[in-house]
Amino acid sequence: MKTADAWRLSAVPYSEMAFRSILQNSSNMWWGSFGRGSSEPSGREDLVERALRIARFDKLIITVFVIVAAGAPFLPQALGASYGVSASVTLSLAVSFALIILYGVQTLSSFVTSGPSPVLSTLPLVRNDISLVNLLSFVRTSDYLVVGSVACQVFFVLLVTGSALSGIFMLLAGATNSVLGVGVALWLSSVFYRNILGSKQGKRGGMLRIALLLAWGVVVLGIGVLFAAAGYLIPLVQSVLTSPNALAGSILSLLYPFSLGISVGSIAHGFASSMVERMALGATVGYLLIAVAVSKWSMSSVASFPESARIATEGERTRDTSVPLHKPVAAYAMKDLRVASANLPSAFLFALPAFETLVVLLIRAFLPTLGASTILVAMTLGGMFSLVLPLVLVSSEGVGFDFAKTMPLRIRTIAFSKALIATAVFLSAVAVVYVESLLKPMASPFSILIPLASILAVAAASLLEVRLFLGFAPSGRATFVLQEFARMAAGAGVVILPATTYAVAYILTFNHALAAGSMIAVASAELLAVADFVRQS
Amino acid sequence: MRVVDALIETRGLMKTYGSFGALNGLDLRVMPGEIYGLLGPNGAGKTTTLRITAGLIEPTRGSVVVSRFDATKDPLHAKAQIGYVAEVPILYESLTPRALLEFEGSVRGLAKEPMNHWARQLAEAFEVASAFDTPIATLSMGTKQKVAIIAALIHQPPVLLLDEPLNSLDARSSRILKELLSLHVQRGGAVLFSTHVMEIAQRLCSRIGIIFGGKIVAEGDLDQLRARAGEKDATLEEVFMKLTNEASEVENTVRTLRESFFDDEDR
Repeated sequence: MKTADAWRLSAVPYSEMAFRSILQNSSNMWWGSFGRGSSEPSGREDLVERALRIARFDKLIITVFVIVAAGAPFLPQALGASYGVSASVTLSLAVSFALIILYGVQTLSSFVTSGPSPVLSTLPLVRNDISLVNLLSFVRTSDYLVVGSVACQVFFVLLVTGSALSGIFMLLAGATNSVLGVGVALWLSSVFYRNILGSKQGKRGGMLRIALLLAWGVVVLGIGVLFAAAGYLIPLVQSVLTSPNALAGSILSLLYPFSLGISVGSIAHGFASSMVERMALGATVGYLLIAVAVSKWSMSSVASFPESARIATEGERTRDTSVPLHKPVAAYAMKDLRVASANLPSAFLFALPAFETLVVLLIRAFLPTLGASTILVAMTLGGMFSLVLPLVLVSSEGVGFDFAKTMPLRIRTIAFSKALIATAVFLSAVAVVYVESLLKPMASPFSILIPLASILAVAAASLLEVRLFLGFAPSGRATFVLQEFARMAAGAGVVILPATTYAVAYILTFNHALAAGSMIAVASAELLAVADFVRQS
Repeated sequence: MRVVDALIETRGLMKTYGSFGALNGLDLRVMPGEIYGLLGPNGAGKTTTLRITAGLIEPTRGSVVVSRFDATKDPLHAKAQIGYVAEVPILYESLTPRALLEFEGSVRGLAKEPMNHWARQLAEAFEVASAFDTPIATLSMGTKQKVAIIAALIHQPPVLLLDEPLNSLDARSSRILKELLSLHVQRGGAVLFSTHVMEIAQRLCSRIGIIFGGKIVAEGDLDQLRARAGEKDATLEEVFMKLTNEASEVENTVRTLRESFFDDEDR
């Protein structure tokens, strides 16, 4: 088979794989409210179309995001800053490496769980042709991302250094980075899905799942820190690289992706002149060889998936069939957590509220006391990010929601269970504020009440959001997204109102006690009103 | 004298998707102690009837009553009376069978001891105990179907809605399911059962409704259907073909296929 024919044919398994990966990771697709309304035949067809539309949109958005992220570290130099190019290249490679892994884990999961397309194996194609088509459909998963990020890096290196040789070296470094990123994503998907989906789900399996999810959450939050602190990191890294302390520079020169960054930088001003640069160049050659090995492993893994991807399903005989029972709301919440935690990319969403709260506190770390405004902003932002969770949990239901629909379930049971999870997750953000209050004195003792009022507000907002989301069917495709954002806006309004009440009350009275009291009163009233509204469903 | 209430009753059931009418005024009654077989060609409206009765979709017009509860006006009570097995198992695939039953038993408010006893018996009968802690996504289609059947039976509902339930089942499990259905109706339950397989319908069902174009065009036991078709000693398949006006169409299609088959061979 000609490569061009194989490339054309690979579009079919790629679409199928993108669809299946959306099915598996539907919790990430809350913006398309994926998984709702699947009972109607027309709804099911719409589900397929929506999945493919989301996949295309997702890939495009991520590509734009990767290009921006890969280019951002070069901006200070493009604008005339005097940093060396090494730190920018290093940071750019680190960010694009992490984003390729993030996207890859989400998309490649269906390669790992069932192979790109079992249908291919039933067609009269020779094994090598099937392998080639599989390989090319795998390439399609990351093509825009890789080409976009590498082109962006090469462009900026050429712009900043004016050296064609540096540009060529950047191309090589970018390609190495992408190959390693895709390889790591493939390996991570393989480890996660074989350990989670392919194993028995006893207590050990549960612990393993939590450990992997936490590890993944830490990786994602680490990427967030990279973004948040990019402005500080570039000069910091550059100063370490140029510092007289040879040991620090030597260690960095051997680490990935510092070696590549230092090598590109050194070529910009003539070939490796210092010891650190020579070490970096040597390490870069090593990473190049590793990339070649990784690319070979990736290709052979992908090419052999139809035969090798079967996940073990049989195991030792279990005699214990006991089933524990709970209250309906608790059972629904537990089910939601189990469904959502089977999905690696959604793990970080559970850490998002605490993370955003932490970012606000870090930004205001220079202030000597923990002021009411800082807590208000941190809690409001944390609360807003908690509101993503109920929609994620609704989308996570996927096609399985039909199973719930056959049971005597009230909308309020579903709403209370999802609000319970969102509020519980928000408690982590509250904990961050209280830990900070132990480290730094509060400007007013009454500010300690702000997080408590925020808990009530977040509970009310998430309840309202789920109730609106489940209670009213979208009336048309054109208004679909608008309606979803309107529901989220309603929830956001419920979170913002008590905070605004605090601010207005304080401006009018300059009394923190009165402001906190007003905030608690408004948040309580909101929760009572929304709970009453939901209880009627 | 009060007539015994039907456990399932649909009146003038209509369902349209755009301009396509999936159901066009479907009436049927399934009495306690009855296995009612819905027989019809693809797209006749069997699955739509079952999905509406299960409360998964709403009818465009008409009503469904399950155990005296109106399925559209009082869906919670109606759903409590139903166990439903879809044509393709609909389950939370990332859960294990144990977690799925934990969820279902809790939401349905079942008592722990009786439910666990029944779950153990069903798991052993269908040989899925060894898969109790394995994610459903990784199970074979047959095992998924068994889990769906157990989930439909776990609350011992009076009404069973089964859409091609023998799909993917091995001979042993098929036999067990058929025996379970017999026991279910002996205890006064009702089964609405859709199938394409004439032999199964003929052997298992006490009454058969032939659905065509979204309506029941004939119903009764085999003798009543034969009488309706005017074919005294015909098999159920022949009766079905006659009543759905497909007999002559099938003959023509087979003739055409035969001609082109042998033409190809001659060439």
